[in-house]
Parts: sequence; structure tokens; C-alpha cells
Amino acid sequence: MRAEFRAGERVRVRAVDPAGHTRVPRYVRGHVGRIVECQGRWPLADECAAGVAEPRVEPVYTVAFAAGDLWGEGGHEVTVDLWESYIERAGKDGA
Amino acid sequence: MSRVNDVGGQGGFGALEIEADEPPFHADWEARVYALNSVLVRNGVYRLDEFRDAVERMPPRAYLAASYYERWLYAIETLLAGRGPAGEG
Repeated sequence: MRAEFRAGERVRVRAVDPAGHTRVPRYVRGHVGRIVECQGRWPLADECAAGVAEPRVEPVYTVAFAAGDLWGEGGHEVTVDLWESYIERAGKDGA
Repeated sequence: MSRVNDVGGQGGFGALEIEADEPPFHADWEARVYALNSVLVRNGVYRLDEFRDAVERMPPRAYLAASYYERWLYAIETLLAGRGPAGEG
């Protein structure tokens, strides 16, 4: 099964706030970033933490965010590794 | 609810103290806690993600007052109390 997203695509982090363990830092939720590369497929941490016997295995992407988008300042990028179900394709206008 | 551990990018905690030539452990008990967790994960007593979850479920006030390896020890105790050798009998 191929990864859904390609390098350079713009994706939005789903603005969810799950009750249990997740690997989505609060500071990127709802923000738009750019796919840098896929890091292969890995068991979903949220389900592993919840004790799911056969957790979903999904592509994990390195996603780059403009620091200015996250913090309102800074000219650098922040990269976060995110499982595929954490993100969705962003519209051309970033919507 | 976002948990107490999720403080990335959040201000108000003061400057990070960077220790020159910082040793891996500041006390022998810390190394033992590290080794104990490694053995438990490798032997499948619990998964690494379950361990992280247990750290995050620490009561917020205690979490913020605890050192790094105190949090690890809390998580190990929590997980072993629920299952495995320490939970039996």
C-alpha cells in the first residue's frame, strides 16, 4: 500500500484533542505544513498506548511548519513526524 | 484534554538549564530505573507507548514537581500495579 501524501504537498493537522496518548503536539494542531518525506510505516502510537492488540500501521511523515505560523515569529521551520491519520490534505488556499 | 506533558513551545517555565558535560544519570537509582524500563519493554511486559501514556497520566501537580526519572519510576509502578509480576498475588 502506497503512502497517500507526497513530498511538497500541503497538509493540515487535524484539530483533535484525544483523551489518551497521542504523538501530535498541541502546537501544530489545526496548522498547515508541508510534507518533507515519508519515514515508512509504523504502528499507530495512540492505539499501541491503548493496548490495542493489532494497532493500525500507517505511513509516518515528516511535516515542516513555518515557525511564524506556529509562534507568530521566527524565520525557521519546525519539523514534526506525524502518522497519516493525524493529517488531511490542505486546500490550495491553505483551507 | 491535552495533558500536562504537552508543553512544547509554551512559555513561562523559565530558561532551560544546560549543564556542561552532563552525565547520562545524576544518581545510581536513575540508571536502575532506566535499565528496569528497558528490560520490561524488551520482555513485552508493556509497550513503549503504554509507558509514555502512563507518564502522561501522572497527576499534573505531581508531574510538574517530579524529575525526569521520578516520572519514569511512577509510570513503571503504575503499569506493574495493573499487571505483571508486581500485580499478582
